[in-house]
Amino acid sequence: MNPGPQVVTHLFGKEFLPVTDTLIVSWVVVVLIAIAAKIIGSNLDLVPGKVQNATELFLTSIEDQIEPMLPGEGRRFLPFIGTIFIFVGVSNLSGVLPGVPNPTADINTTLGLALLVFILMHVEGMRENGIWGYIKGFAEPVFILLPLNIVSELAKPISHSFRLFGNIVGGGIIITLIYQAAPWLIPIPLQAWFDIFIGIIQALIFGMVAIAYIAVSKEG
Amino acid sequence: MVEFSQPVIDVIISASALLGAGFAMIAGIGPGIGQGYAAGKAVESVARQPEARGNIITTMLLGQAVAESTGIYSLVIAIVLIFTFA
Repeated sequence: MNPGPQVVTHLFGKEFLPVTDTLIVSWVVVVLIAIAAKIIGSNLDLVPGKVQNATELFLTSIEDQIEPMLPGEGRRFLPFIGTIFIFVGVSNLSGVLPGVPNPTADINTTLGLALLVFILMHVEGMRENGIWGYIKGFAEPVFILLPLNIVSELAKPISHSFRLFGNIVGGGIIITLIYQAAPWLIPIPLQAWFDIFIGIIQALIFGMVAIAYIAVSKEG
Repeated sequence: MVEFSQPVIDVIISASALLGAGFAMIAGIGPGIGQGYAAGKAVESVARQPEARGNIITTMLLGQAVAESTGIYSLVIAIVLIFTFA
């Protein structure tokens, strides 16, 4: 058993351009989301149909999560947080299909997403407080705490990415072990728990922690 | 000074890595207690104020996810020990 991304092929046959299964599955996920968004977005109606209604409910509920933490800016952050939430959610759910790995069970994916959030939160903090005011915020309340604040700032993307990665990899390892011990019937409820429930909860958590980080950073 | 041959050294390294992975997972106690405490408090608040259920559950899940991080760190350390050293 070897968890983690497996190199499937090499791009253009070059040794330094490996293509992992993570990369393939995440591109499939991205293309599926794009197609779904295109189909749903192409025939919008003033009187919404079933699909449009469900989508609007979904997006409004994400916006309602952002609004209390970032007052008045729910609509501005909805595209970013919503995209992260949908991508992570679909990636976590892809493990339900047998033989399909989770793109989020790869530290490269989760660390990439966490770095996006990291960059956005610092940019937002600088926009809100000014560049000098934001940098000065690290030396508060006492100047001696500056290195401590910087370390705690650097720990944010690490804890953010490792939380998602560890949850998904841990669930995947447990399911693999159960499949080896009892391949019939017993894995089904476990797979429902680890892939569907934990997957959706972790996607929600990932988005909400991103909102919380941005909100903390904006306070200065 | 005892000289070990290479196979013996390899066995010692794998054994220590597996033992270390087991020890690392002792950290699983902490998140268990913490999450249970958060869930218990959430149940109390829902019982006292059932109309705030949605908010309480969201806050509880966020707090539990943050409390879980330490356990997840130990899990990652254990996974690294098992799959790269053992």
